[in-house]
Amino acid sequence: MALLNRSDWYDIARDTNWTPKYVTEDALFPPQMSDCFDIPREKWAGYDEPYKTTYREYVKVQREKDAGAYSVKAALARMKFFEGADPGWLSILKAHYGAIAVQEYAAGMAEARMARFGKASGMRNMATFGLLDETRHGQIQLYFPHEHVNKDRQFDWAHKAMHTNEWGAIAARHMFADMMNTRDAVSVAIMLTFAFETGFTNMQFLGLAADAAEAGDFTFANLISSIQTDEARHAQIGAPALKILIENGKQEEAQRKVDIAFWRSWRLFTVLTGPMMDYYTPLDKREKSFKEFMEEWIIGQFERNMLDLGLDKPWYWDIFLEELNDTHHGMHMGVWYWRPTVWWNPAAGASSAERDWLEEKYPGWNDTWGQCWDVIAANVAAGREDLLLPQTLPVICNMTNLPIVGRPGKRWKLRDYHLDYKGRRYHFGSEPDRWVFEQEPERYAGHTTLVDRFVAGLVQPPTIEGALQYMNLGQGEIGEDAHGYDWAFDYQNFRKQAV
Amino acid sequence: MHPLVVNFEADFVLQLLPVEADFTMDQVAEAAAFHSLNRRVKPQSGKTLRVRVQDADVPLGREVTVAQAGLREMETVEVYYE
Repeated sequence: MALLNRSDWYDIARDTNWTPKYVTEDALFPPQMSDCFDIPREKWAGYDEPYKTTYREYVKVQREKDAGAYSVKAALARMKFFEGADPGWLSILKAHYGAIAVQEYAAGMAEARMARFGKASGMRNMATFGLLDETRHGQIQLYFPHEHVNKDRQFDWAHKAMHTNEWGAIAARHMFADMMNTRDAVSVAIMLTFAFETGFTNMQFLGLAADAAEAGDFTFANLISSIQTDEARHAQIGAPALKILIENGKQEEAQRKVDIAFWRSWRLFTVLTGPMMDYYTPLDKREKSFKEFMEEWIIGQFERNMLDLGLDKPWYWDIFLEELNDTHHGMHMGVWYWRPTVWWNPAAGASSAERDWLEEKYPGWNDTWGQCWDVIAANVAAGREDLLLPQTLPVICNMTNLPIVGRPGKRWKLRDYHLDYKGRRYHFGSEPDRWVFEQEPERYAGHTTLVDRFVAGLVQPPTIEGALQYMNLGQGEIGEDAHGYDWAFDYQNFRKQAV
Repeated sequence: MHPLVVNFEADFVLQLLPVEADFTMDQVAEAAAFHSLNRRVKPQSGKTLRVRVQDADVPLGREVTVAQAGLREMETVEVYYE
């Protein structure tokens, strides 16, 4: 029997809508779970997903993807890449797996919400595949690092991180929960799949894959490229949803949610992806700077996506462009200086050659960030370990849950964007972070940052050691300088020669 | 303990600074310096560290205490060289 072409039957087969007789429309699709924009159900019939696939096709392709990724891993396991890898690169793997792997399951729940509560049958169909995608991503990104756990306990944090009160884990949970797990299906579609996945997953899964290939880590390069092929498909759930919203007079509200999700994504990437690309990746393996990748993937492509749909650039676009030069440098320095509080070993990335590269990519780096690294390098040379570790906590943003950082040195620019709300003072790292809070204060007001908890006496004893214990960081897990300070001696020698 | 948020001149991060209500502004500046100077910020000789509330035009008096200045818990202060 001849098979019909997919296009002959796809629309009918995926259109599983029916008219409920025994329950109300709102009981079947509760607005808080389905569509807070309250678009009539018949309007969603116009939803047209750009990428169409069937279950049979999906399974065939996914099986091939998995077979490829797992066989590359098996073949390269014999090459002992791990044993010879640069410690900075291993830190990228640890940070990536801990921040991402378990969140993939949370992303699966977000896809499941769209699969169940999306009013458009096309959205439900694509999200069903998205749910399977995210399950695959969770499994594969826990399986791959597991082989390293017996060699390095920090790899255990691939699974452990998201179950702790470690500050970076809190930041990731807070951001992802905001856009993935505590919104209605339509909001998830535009915040997670459009704002986050269309733009930012390219940075982590394609930009970093390029660096991984350069670094010779073909297992990781292959793995994250494989994941991104899924992302590129299910990320397309959001754009047709935005089209429906705009057609039905909801542009302003849709824009607001995209703006919130974009900003929150940007800020998380300043601590996750920025340091990896500009400091942890060995210098001779860097394909581009973080800023250059951002300009290509976000400014070049995502901005065009927004404008093509009829959206505007977010109101804070100029602030965002300015932050491209600074924020991730601050996040990096914060992570390095407070390195006992993370589950990987931060690479300082401040040797003389690396500083030259940073100055070339970020003109003025030596007069700003370099000023601080000068002091740190001098302390290394003088053996002042006491000055190389913190004695207090950084103040944490009440939106991002990340340290509030700014530009140091000769062009010092740092401030607290605080807000008093119902008798409590909230601290924010930027004007857009405060703006996000102001959009729905009751949504965010009850959350406490690690510093809020410390001040409230919930972290005992109230010391750095007590904070490490609170964050579940034990010996063998807490971060140290990835290269044993070699970079600082290199820089000090360079300076002496220069004199 | 009376926690403040400190923004130290030329440093890159806001830090939590536990002080006491009877600390003078000179003591606040000294306590703040412990967490920034010689860690990430070079000292400037011959200059005095002053404390001002964020965005204030003038510094608080050097002998004024935290309580007298009416600084609330988690008030953000800037510590800078004069």
